[in-house]
Amino acid sequence: MTQALVEIEELLASVLREIQSLRSYIQVLEEENIRLKRDAALPAQETERVIANAERIQNVAQENLLRLYNDGFHVCHLHFGQPLEGDCLFCMGFLRKD
Amino acid sequence: MKFFCTKNDLLTGVNTVQKAVSSKSTQPILQGILITAENQKLTFAATDLEIGILCDTPANILTEGKMVVPARLFSEIVRKLPDTQLSIELRDYTLLIEYDQSNINLKGYDPEEFPLFPELADAESFTMPTALLKTMIKQTVFACSSEGSRPVFTGTLMQVESGTVRLIGTDTHRLAYRIAEIPENPELHFYGIIPAKTMSEIYRLLKDEDEIINIRFNKNQVEFEFGSVRLLSRLIDGQFPNYKQAIPQMCETKTYLSVRSFLEAVERASLMAKDNHVGNIVRLVLKEDAMNIAQTSEMGKIQEQIPIRLDGKELGISFNAKFILDVLKILDTDEILMELSGPFSAAVIRPLEDPNYLYLLLPVRTA
Ligand SMILES: [Zn+2]
Repeated sequence: MTQALVEIEELLASVLREIQSLRSYIQVLEEENIRLKRDAALPAQETERVIANAERIQNVAQENLLRLYNDGFHVCHLHFGQPLEGDCLFCMGFLRKD
Repeated sequence: MKFFCTKNDLLTGVNTVQKAVSSKSTQPILQGILITAENQKLTFAATDLEIGILCDTPANILTEGKMVVPARLFSEIVRKLPDTQLSIELRDYTLLIEYDQSNINLKGYDPEEFPLFPELADAESFTMPTALLKTMIKQTVFACSSEGSRPVFTGTLMQVESGTVRLIGTDTHRLAYRIAEIPENPELHFYGIIPAKTMSEIYRLLKDEDEIINIRFNKNQVEFEFGSVRLLSRLIDGQFPNYKQAIPQMCETKTYLSVRSFLEAVERASLMAKDNHVGNIVRLVLKEDAMNIAQTSEMGKIQEQIPIRLDGKELGISFNAKFILDVLKILDTDEILMELSGPFSAAVIRPLEDPNYLYLLLPVRTA
């Protein structure tokens, strides 16, 4: 039992680290994207590559959050990382892309 | 202190403030009711330091004064008093109640020890019809959580902005939302979580003859004034979740159905769940023009069918029956619109032709 808890804790910690690093990575990429867009001299091809890259990483982050939720942890702002007791309206609202 | 009054005057005061009397406090004074005789009226006051209630009743006051009486005993005595003129006098922290040829001596506490009711500093205020507030409370407070582990969900969010007031209650599995206009106050802004206990108390105390309620607030407290009652409450610390994000903007299925037939069918289906520890879960299957409502347990099986109108995809979905019954019981309309997006996404229930209310509930995942 204790071992299982330790493993879940480690898993959670590693997913959290991953998400956090992805978040800052996305931010850097988005900033880069904006800068590049402004730079008219840059070929359109290069801009597209950067956009595609940012989108790919954003999707990975979204998938990780979904995985975390399906593993039984809140991903909503208020209770991020806390164990779920049944589904959470706010997590689902956060994960949904209307 | 000496005054004359009737049993009813005392009863009104005691009944109004009793829910604010602390039941588990280690401070004996908080298990008491402060009675102040002043300006030809009696003021009853009780507080558990989270909620405080004051109530005025008329009385014929000979000498002014105040005292604190033990709430439980005093209220039992008052209930049992005969319906006759009462003479009440204070002598050294002892209350002497005289009626007909009889008398009671009741020991009290020092009123100077009773906590003061804070005046709300930097308060802003607005008024609204009591009937409206009563309806809004009824429609939202039931969705609050009763578990103390997450305090923000044990209260309803009151949000005042752009000439509207909203009440929102949620336990994270369901959410009730109600909005109303307060057109006189377009500039007013308030965002506070009011304990569900406070809301239920206001609901209990609001009478039809109190037409207007005055609501005053600052960052930490809120005060409701109506009729001869003043109720103060602390606000719950913490941040309320982004409820707007939780409300789905689209849906795959829209269904229109009668509140009454839905309510009765789910109530009957719930009978099968009695003593069922797994919970009371009903299965809904929505077809083109009918909905099946079913519940199976070791005690038996029930299957109901009601007519509906359906736009969009047919589906099967399971809910905690209580989540459905709670909302159907408080709606005033005959028909509802239910919006669904598959068996795992939140459903939205709206009274037909009333855009001011909505109820969000999560389905139960079944194998
Ligand atoms: Zn959550």
